[in-house]
Amino acid sequence: MAERKVAGRVKSPPRFLHEIAIWLRQHPEFGAFAGLLIVFAGFSLTATRFLTGDSLASILTVAAELGIVSAGITFLMISGEFDLSVGSVLGVAAMIFALTAKARWPLFLGWILALLASAGIGFLNGLITVRAGIPSFITTLGTMMFWRGILLAVTGGFPVSYFPTITPTMFLILNGRFAGQFRASSLWFLGIILLLNIILVRTRYGNAVYATGGNRDAARVLGVATDKVKIINFVISAVLAGLAGCIQFARFLSVDPMRGLGLELEAIAAAVIGGTLLTGGAGNLVGTLFGVLLVGMVRSGLVQAGAPAYWYQAFVGIIVVVAVVVNTNLRRWALK
Amino acid sequence: MKKALLLALLMSLVGSGLAAEYTFYVVSHGGPGDPFWGVVMKGMQDAADLLSKGTGDTIKATYLGPAVYSVTELVNMLNSAIAARPQGVVCTITDPAALDEPLRRAISLGIPVIAINVPDPRPAGERIPYLFYVGGDEYLSGIKAAERMLAVKKPARAVVFIHEVGHVGLELRAKGFIEVMSAAGVPAEKLAIGIDPTQAVDIIRGYFAKYPDTDAIFTLGPLGTLPTVTFLKEQGLAGKVMLGCFDLDEVTLKAIKDGVALFTVTQQQYLQGYLPIVWLYLYNKYGFLPANDILTGPGFVDSSNVEKVEQLIKQGYW
Repeated sequence: MAERKVAGRVKSPPRFLHEIAIWLRQHPEFGAFAGLLIVFAGFSLTATRFLTGDSLASILTVAAELGIVSAGITFLMISGEFDLSVGSVLGVAAMIFALTAKARWPLFLGWILALLASAGIGFLNGLITVRAGIPSFITTLGTMMFWRGILLAVTGGFPVSYFPTITPTMFLILNGRFAGQFRASSLWFLGIILLLNIILVRTRYGNAVYATGGNRDAARVLGVATDKVKIINFVISAVLAGLAGCIQFARFLSVDPMRGLGLELEAIAAAVIGGTLLTGGAGNLVGTLFGVLLVGMVRSGLVQAGAPAYWYQAFVGIIVVVAVVVNTNLRRWALK
Repeated sequence: MKKALLLALLMSLVGSGLAAEYTFYVVSHGGPGDPFWGVVMKGMQDAADLLSKGTGDTIKATYLGPAVYSVTELVNMLNSAIAARPQGVVCTITDPAALDEPLRRAISLGIPVIAINVPDPRPAGERIPYLFYVGGDEYLSGIKAAERMLAVKKPARAVVFIHEVGHVGLELRAKGFIEVMSAAGVPAEKLAIGIDPTQAVDIIRGYFAKYPDTDAIFTLGPLGTLPTVTFLKEQGLAGKVMLGCFDLDEVTLKAIKDGVALFTVTQQQYLQGYLPIVWLYLYNKYGFLPANDILTGPGFVDSSNVEKVEQLIKQGYW
């Protein structure tokens, strides 16, 4: 009702525009979807063999690993916090999985241990941020460096590999191949997006996440335990990063101590492209889905279009800025 | 009588010569806990032990390297080595600006200096006047790698996967490789693949979609080799595409044994610990110097020596 009144004052725009505005307000992921379509169309026209099953499977594979990390980050960002340590956590989890596999532990046990360690790191991130009352940007910047340093110190800079004679079932479950070049990681990714989306949209916890990021004081008054919500989300973010590390190891069977370096920024970029606000309180996982597909597509698309691959980063930079400008303007227009 | 005295004097001189003691320091940017530098350390110690046993002189060699990479710490360690007034210092010229003053001071104090692993890249007049350099040559490594592939078969198209764009060493390897391939009439270029293996495989797949005739790949280190080997295996291209790698790790060695990779280039860093100690001894004792820098790399590991090298890695020689 309130919106209609405001809209009425602005020389009553046509009714369909008003409806589009309402729809856009409910769908901040639209900008990312439009961008995805434009880039997809662009590559389909310019890049040879872009529209093949192999090519799409490969893009989905890249998007899946990035997306599992980005989904956790999105959740955390909606509650108003950051996690820069996900790349290091991915590396730590993959390394634990690799070292335990090499030591002939049961793979399932090593996997659980890797995820538990990730959860511990996430819990620590959350605890420090909430208890010390410092920005998570700083907390996780510190833990990002710390865990990367531990990785380097433990391995002496060398990769750790594990070569089973036949691929174990555990690895197939985590990241086996199916239907040509498609990988299990895509299923994990879609499952996680679906699950987190249900939690976010349909549960009380989801409401608490939005409230924590939107207006913390109001959330507290309403009885939302904001600190608890944040710590839980830090754990979710870290566990998903760890899972992505294990999934990657299941395919490559080798981990180097630089694994996951720089991933945090790509994951945040994908979430932001998808309409998640850096300031918290807004965003959704469908947007992140489009965001990671967009980021995942750009690299091989550019290579196949014959552009020098050194251009990739510049291109992603442009996409991030354009996407946020478009998203912000759409949102402003929709809120009028 | 005089003759006998002279002879006795000479004998005693030679005798004291036999009992001479030499102290050498190896100062490097890599910590002793780093497996790469562990091999250098072993080379240094083996040389000192062998010389001590074989000559009767006492050769003491000490390895100094910061546990975590730090130029400040490297300079501090170098200064403490110089303060001990040894008969020789071996140093990696990791940061020519920071090492310029202490090394020149050492040289002016009459301490012989040998550079290892990383030379001073500046032209002859400006560089630190160390005796000579013992180590690999990045540019030559690329050249030799390309020549090795051309000796097997002239590829239709060659590509260098660079995982760390702007890394001077990697760019030099790529440059040497591309120059030789281009001179042989093979279209060759570099492709930036980054360090994330999943994304790297996707980029490589994109490149092969664009240029399906590609049949020679040169990777510049284990970070590039892992996604390349994975890609070739997953696409059934193993053995059909010539693959040359860089450095030794389990993935690379397995790729050579499985016939996925043709060879890998190594800088045989054991020699970077061993040879300077031998030369410092020869220089101190007899004044000998080699005519040129001594190149320990490019050395090659391929199917002919991979089994042997694998054993020797376990014993700390490679």
